[in-house]
Amino acid sequence: MKKNNGATMIVTTILVTLIILWQMAAQANVINGQLLGSPLGIYHSAVIGFTKGQLLYDTWVTLVETLLGLVLGSGLGIVLGLMLWFYPRTSDIVEQFSILLNSIPKIALGPLIIIWFGSGMTSKIWLAGISTFAVAMISACAAAQEVDKDLLNLFKSFKAPRAMVFKKLIVPASVPWIFSIFRINIGFALIGAVVGEFIASESGLGHAVFVAGSLFDLNSVWLGVIILTLMAAVLTWVVQLIEERVVSWKVAQ
Amino acid sequence: MLENLLEINNLSHAFIKANGEEIRIFQNLNFHVGQAEIVAIVGRSGAGKSTLFNLISGLLAPSAGKISLGARPDGRPGSIAYMLQKDLLLPWRTILENAVLGIELQRTVTDADRTRALAMLARYGLESVANAYPHSLSGGMKQRVALTRTLLSDPTVVLLDEPFSALDYETRLMLENDVISLTRTDRTSVILVTHDIDEAIAMSNRVVVLGGRPAKITREEHIALSVEGDRDAVTARGAPEFPVYHKEIWNALRASDVAHAGV
Repeated sequence: MKKNNGATMIVTTILVTLIILWQMAAQANVINGQLLGSPLGIYHSAVIGFTKGQLLYDTWVTLVETLLGLVLGSGLGIVLGLMLWFYPRTSDIVEQFSILLNSIPKIALGPLIIIWFGSGMTSKIWLAGISTFAVAMISACAAAQEVDKDLLNLFKSFKAPRAMVFKKLIVPASVPWIFSIFRINIGFALIGAVVGEFIASESGLGHAVFVAGSLFDLNSVWLGVIILTLMAAVLTWVVQLIEERVVSWKVAQ
Repeated sequence: MLENLLEINNLSHAFIKANGEEIRIFQNLNFHVGQAEIVAIVGRSGAGKSTLFNLISGLLAPSAGKISLGARPDGRPGSIAYMLQKDLLLPWRTILENAVLGIELQRTVTDADRTRALAMLARYGLESVANAYPHSLSGGMKQRVALTRTLLSDPTVVLLDEPFSALDYETRLMLENDVISLTRTDRTSVILVTHDIDEAIAMSNRVVVLGGRPAKITREEHIALSVEGDRDAVTARGAPEFPVYHKEIWNALRASDVAHAGV
């Protein structure tokens, strides 16, 4: 990560400059603070939201929905995708289905899922899960099939049973892929949860952003967006930390 | 009981191309390997050397003919291990875990297995890296781990498919010696596929030239080199007979090239 320090410095400098310029412009009435919000306004919204309002609870709700959706949807997709390795003929059929499933704009299923599972957290977890499932399954299926043919032959020449090949070769060889599936799917799960909250909910950051928007409270909308961005960043960082621990053998490659 | 450790009788094999055309790789091939013998197979690219290995190791089933593997001295069935040019070490396993892979795929690895693996790694100067991961090793070290893995499964016949061709000359000579001494200490038989005529002569008791299509044995040369003491990879290359064999085999290879081109 050391070599990125220079880039991080530049990005931080640009961001801080933009925020200062934004605040100055809003104070001097060069831009319409009502329609665009301002950094200080966002700060005040944050203080009020976290001390008096239910912002902390909203953050918690969205985090739980996203995490559960991510883990259940991607987890199931990965397990099924890897298991398809046992059935090469079936995998062609299933793969076509999952490509079809993946082309559905999952968000469009939102109203349907809310009718089925209500306006509580369950429907958001479903939406987040569905948003990640197909991608996970397709990638895991591809990962299992990408395994080096020579390695497969090596296992065969040792007369290894198929279950053993799966356990000792296919699964470990797919681990780096599995982590990249999780990293990509953080964004998809978050979209699923937030859009579900837009459609019908009583809590969550999506709900907070939606309500603030209809009240023209632009500062609170910005605040919600910022927390969502931070949440995605933190989740990505956590996945990376776990990956570095698990895939330590890969570091020096 | 087989007289030889490995016998190939009337082996025929063909591939069917996508357009239905049949490509005959072997027709009625006969070939045998005795105990503790090193046999080198040389031939031009595409002569079917790797297919022959896949047939012997059971990765491919032959169209016709028989491949028989002799039993061990104590009556247990013999076994074949295969080593390729690529080391095929699993990057997520330590060197020791890689070495015992062949055993692990058959049964539970015991402490005795690990002790034996460590002893063998030590013989190849690898004991200090037993707990390291493959990425930190040089090509020659990795290939030695692959050799350890191959030998730990207790094979009676070892198939080596151009195992040293990616290595530098010095490492290569060391590994050639490792294999030669293996036939002396463990009475293991070795079949070596190589492009390198020097390597074939230096290492083996017999060189077989494979040529034509379907491939047949176009020449067989028993190698007897006058060296002082036991032959090794370096003294063999200095033997007075060495250039004679080299010329014979080179000519046989060229002849099979011409025959092939005429088909």
